[in-house]
Amino acid sequence: MPNRYGKILLSMLLSGFMLLGLTTAQAADKTFADTKVVLQISDPNPFKQTLVLNVASNLIKHYGQDQVVVEIVAFGPGLRLLMKENANKDRIQGLASSGVKFSACTNTMTKMGKVLGKPPELNSNAVQVTAGVVRIIDLVKDGYTLVKP
Amino acid sequence: MFRSKKKWLTGFLSMSCIGLLSAPAYSANWLMLQGTEPTDAAPRAKVWGFIQPEYQKTDDTKLKAGAFSGQKAVFNQIRPDLNTNESFNVLRARLGVRGIGLPLDSNVNYFLLAEFGNNGITRNGGGSAKITDASVTLNHIPGARIRVGQFKHPGSEEGLQAIHVFDYINFSNVVNQMILERFFDGDGSTTAGNGTGVCAGGTANVACANKPNGPVSAFRDVGVQVFNTFKSGDWEHSYAVMYGNGNGIARGDNDDNKEVYLYWASEWVFGGKGPRREGMKLYAWSQDGKRTLTGATAAGGTGGAGEYDRERSGVGLTFRKGSQRAAFEYITADGMIFNGTDGGAVAGSANNAGTGTASFNVATTGEADGWYLHYGWAFHPKWELDVRYDILNRLTDNTNGERKFETWTLGMQYFFNKKTRLIANYEVRDAEAPNQASSAAANQILDSMDDRISLQLLAIF
Repeated sequence: MPNRYGKILLSMLLSGFMLLGLTTAQAADKTFADTKVVLQISDPNPFKQTLVLNVASNLIKHYGQDQVVVEIVAFGPGLRLLMKENANKDRIQGLASSGVKFSACTNTMTKMGKVLGKPPELNSNAVQVTAGVVRIIDLVKDGYTLVKP
Repeated sequence: MFRSKKKWLTGFLSMSCIGLLSAPAYSANWLMLQGTEPTDAAPRAKVWGFIQPEYQKTDDTKLKAGAFSGQKAVFNQIRPDLNTNESFNVLRARLGVRGIGLPLDSNVNYFLLAEFGNNGITRNGGGSAKITDASVTLNHIPGARIRVGQFKHPGSEEGLQAIHVFDYINFSNVVNQMILERFFDGDGSTTAGNGTGVCAGGTANVACANKPNGPVSAFRDVGVQVFNTFKSGDWEHSYAVMYGNGNGIARGDNDDNKEVYLYWASEWVFGGKGPRREGMKLYAWSQDGKRTLTGATAAGGTGGAGEYDRERSGVGLTFRKGSQRAAFEYITADGMIFNGTDGGAVAGSANNAGTGTASFNVATTGEADGWYLHYGWAFHPKWELDVRYDILNRLTDNTNGERKFETWTLGMQYFFNKKTRLIANYEVRDAEAPNQASSAAANQILDSMDDRISLQLLAIF
């Protein structure tokens, strides 16, 4: 019996630690920043690439790195911004160092891969999300302001 | 002496090529600006162009000596028509499109540009418009981009740079006469003892004058170029090797000989990007080929039939930082030396005796060298002052034939905005036959050379 209660107690403790760990991990993704902005880039015009990076940079400058969360979600033709050798890769690296997040649409990547005959190579700062538009909707539900420069 | 200069340049190029570094760079220089598009950041088709209306004037001093004495001096007439000493002209009106055909594949770029202005490109060879650039660049091989088609060949900075950022209206003498190539059927030496356009039967006639047989080269060629740029800290190193026709633009080759171009540039990049990036660039280049003339050496022909070597090479430096700009380039030329017109007259003019017609001449085996030094000061965001001094020593291997051209160009630019500016130039022009007496006919003819005033409005879109 004591063994049985001991196992139950151990399981409860382990579950508690796991829950605590999960909560802690989620909290790391949460932010205390007052301002949360998601920037959409889905346009083929290269000028929009510069523009969306400028907007992200200006948000960081205005609010301060700790007071604003900025995530750039790229899908459709706009995904070219997050290609590995994009001409703006140095700027992307700089913004990533300032806390800007980059999300790349997996659906677009799959389609681009079919056209190219191989999967496109992503910038190492980009995180793949299932669908760019879904990511934007989720972020908006979470209190983000959507801006499409 | 001249041969040793060329060996030095060839050696410099060879040594430089050995030092190729590995890290790729994507910031701009002329090779990259004109031959490539930004990776994954270029449009399918970017339409662009520029317009250069201008006004030029000389005093129209007439020739003071020689067989054409009292007639219009070719060097006092306004290009390209050479009919008058004062003219409005739309020198360049270019419209182009460039980009990435398939936006997902940055490895393939294209560049297309057409000329609608009135100049040496459109004036000769028929038609009122011509394609100046039509090229495709393949970026698949690391360290070796390949550009194929018609485009600016690697070479002199004045020629290679984008013309819409050129600080002056007219090129320096050495670049205008030795690098901006004119193509002829003959060398202008018709019948023995005459040297002017005389048709069969002995009559002087414009139809028998030696004149350009097509557009000027416009510093371009048709062929294939391998090139790339490599970055090492603040330095950027570029190379280009091109294999082309050596027969100008808007046509194929006229012989089996091909032109080989070599180019190396190392630039200390201070900052910025695009055509007005700040930095200090050192460069060297060479161009080696042959030209085939078909002109018959008989009455009615334009003379000089045969194959001739044509070699050009140069070293230079450019500097740009803040309000200061400077440039220097030294150029040597061997073979196919452009040698002006008979008696300094406008080609096609009959001489006073009615026994010949003025032709353009080419010294097929001659030599020349020259240089220019440029300094610019942007003393205000909207204003820039420029001064250039340039020298051309033409036919240095020919005591009587040698000519020395010396020009001071004073310039001022007013920038209406980033893409629109007014350029004003005043050229103090002198020329002489240095090995002849001042009273000799050649020096009297060259003493007819006037200063020149030029105004140009440049709008880029």
